[in-house]
Amino acid sequence: MRLRGLLWFYAICLMLPDPLFGSSAVEGRVELPKSHSAPVQAKRYEIVTKGGVLSTQPPLAVVYVDGAFPRTGSLPAKQVAQKDLTFVPALLPIQVGTKVEFPNLDDTYHNIFSYSPAKRFDLGRYRPEERPIPTEVFDKPGLVTLRCDIHEHMRGLVLVLNTPYFVMTDTEGHFRLAGLPAGHYTLKAWIDSRTTREKPVDLKNGQTLHVDFP
Amino acid sequence: MRSTVEARYKAVASFRARLFTAIMIIVATLTALGLYLAQRKVTADAEGNLQQIFQNELSSLHRLEELRHGALADRCNALAAKPRIHAAIEDNAIDLLYPSAKDELRDLMESEEPPPQQPTQWLHAKFYRFLDTKGAVIKPLNPYDVGGLDANTEAQLALNKLPDTQQVGYIRENAQTGGGAIDEVIAVPIFSTETGDLISALVIGFKPLELEDKHTGMKSGIWANGRLHLPALPTSAQTSLNEMVTGALANSDKDQNYFRVDLGGASQLLFYKRLNPGSLFPPAYEICIYPLSYSLAELHRLRWQIGGAGALLLLGGFVASHLVALRFSAPVKKLALDSEEARAQRQRAEAALASTAEELARSTRYSADASHQLKSPVTVLRVGLESLLEREGFKPEVYEELSNLLHQTHRLTGVIEDLLLLSRMDAGHLQIACTPVNLSQLVDEWLEDLGALRDSPDVKIEKEFPRDLFVAGEKRYTSLIVQNLLENARKYNRPGGRICVSANGNGRDIVLTIGNNGCTIPPGENIFERFHHSSTPSVASGHGIGLNLARELARLHGGDLRLVRSENDWTEFEVRFPAADGVKAVA
Repeated sequence: MRLRGLLWFYAICLMLPDPLFGSSAVEGRVELPKSHSAPVQAKRYEIVTKGGVLSTQPPLAVVYVDGAFPRTGSLPAKQVAQKDLTFVPALLPIQVGTKVEFPNLDDTYHNIFSYSPAKRFDLGRYRPEERPIPTEVFDKPGLVTLRCDIHEHMRGLVLVLNTPYFVMTDTEGHFRLAGLPAGHYTLKAWIDSRTTREKPVDLKNGQTLHVDFP
Repeated sequence: MRSTVEARYKAVASFRARLFTAIMIIVATLTALGLYLAQRKVTADAEGNLQQIFQNELSSLHRLEELRHGALADRCNALAAKPRIHAAIEDNAIDLLYPSAKDELRDLMESEEPPPQQPTQWLHAKFYRFLDTKGAVIKPLNPYDVGGLDANTEAQLALNKLPDTQQVGYIRENAQTGGGAIDEVIAVPIFSTETGDLISALVIGFKPLELEDKHTGMKSGIWANGRLHLPALPTSAQTSLNEMVTGALANSDKDQNYFRVDLGGASQLLFYKRLNPGSLFPPAYEICIYPLSYSLAELHRLRWQIGGAGALLLLGGFVASHLVALRFSAPVKKLALDSEEARAQRQRAEAALASTAEELARSTRYSADASHQLKSPVTVLRVGLESLLEREGFKPEVYEELSNLLHQTHRLTGVIEDLLLLSRMDAGHLQIACTPVNLSQLVDEWLEDLGALRDSPDVKIEKEFPRDLFVAGEKRYTSLIVQNLLENARKYNRPGGRICVSANGNGRDIVLTIGNNGCTIPPGENIFERFHHSSTPSVASGHGIGLNLARELARLHGGDLRLVRSENDWTEFEVRFPAADGVKAVA
């Protein structure tokens, strides 16, 4: 019985592509810009613009391993809801090809659209009870600014990435990326629409690398 | 006399003529001044009115424009705030800018059909364009969606930089071909909703408001980019007017002004006013021409009225000054006649006075001469009588007669001397040398003499005066005064009567009072008159010069003699002498 279990495990492992077996990890801390405003209630992130640069408030970063990775099958759908006339979450990192749903949780109409080069779309006006939920598949990497035609102050960001290995830091800037394949990669930290820091990393199996972005 | 009166009349007439002329000159000057001022005021008022009309017209136009600008600005700002337009600019999707704007600005644009005549038509745009951050026009992919413009016209929309406030400008469509309408453009800045930076501007073109007042004949147009657009005028007139306006604007830096122009033989007033002061677009001016024929006719009418009023005023002045001259010359004429009469009277009086004075002088001279002539025979007579008295051998009655005659010669001598003295006084030859005279002593001496007289009636003498009362005077004449008064008191007394002599001094004057019983002097009788004779018959009578002489002498000394009372058997005289300043010198 115990042997059979081991055999099953081995068989499953064989079926998975090689890199997935990678067991290396990266952890560290991204030095986030100082937050000047008071802590936001309900822990809701908003997009703010300063000098033409979009970032989240309070500051958050997305850390990802850049590189060409083979596409895995179907990706799970993500959601960017509209609640209390804001996008929730305000910043959503996704892998290319991900379908994103935009449910309307307010009592009013919304009209989500984007003129960003990475993705132009216009969902038109829709009510809260609109079914099916309007969705959009993001098939080009880049930063997409979400706007609402009815509520001009609403902003959301979708960071479309080539890689499946990404994670959002906590508000302190700490992150941990696990299950990475071994190899030579570039580790990047997206801080705002203009700032992306990067560091080359050598990942070895079973090893946990510590990388800090000053 | 007649000729003098005629001359007077002539002089009065000349005075009247001169007065009339002077008043007329003043009236005419005032009238001319009034006319000049009225004329100037009327001209200034006319110009002011004209300017006022223009300003009113212009301000009503400007109110409309402001209203429209306000409405347009609100709309433009609302449009510029549309998220899609912002997204197209901010997210670098310029290709989506005009398509987005087309949807958003759909209701702003004019419809293809001619719009109905209603105020909302003002708010319809002919075209719109966006400017990039450098102020250049962002070219639309499909110009027909946003109002077609040729390249030249479109180039006029560009600015040197993006405006941060609303700007108004005027551009000329199809400037190349010469014709073409003027468009009013409003540039509205577009600020990023994210950064607040100036990211673009929306320029919207409208058909300008045109003003033509049918009532006053005022025509308005716009001068922009060196060209005048005044469609109400024929092309040739526009061309010539354009030159004038361009010249005037080149030579003046004022934002508004006015001047006269001659257009097709008709005088017109041209006003201009900057439409877009401070704008980044080239300056454009509102041009209004106002035909002066109305106001000139009005001015002409007013001038005639003023002229008529002036003529009336002058006529009134003529009549008034005539009346005034008559009124003023009447008393002058009367005065002239009166003065003529007065002059004649004065001449007569002067002549009479002269003859009187001459007669007086002659009589004075005569009495002096007569006195002198009488003195010598009287002296001869007296000496003869005295020598006869000294002879012996005449009967006693003869001696008595001679003695009486001798007494009469003495009286005669006294009278002659008195007359001589009076005539000297009348001629003003009598000089008085004043010395202190002891009046008390003088009176005492005369009273003694009085008692010694032979024919003195039985009278009682009472005297009451202090010793050594000194008066200022010449002793001889003072003595004469006292003698005269005392002799009168004795002479006119009744038997058994009394004479009362008193004197006292008050420091400045010394008053001697002499009273006596006897018949009284009737009131109103002037006893001081020379050669006066009493109206009442009396036993005693003088020669009528004693009192006169006494008073003349008293006055000559600075004193006076007057009758104090004469009633109830009592007559009292009072003579006043100036005191001898307290000098107690011995006379």
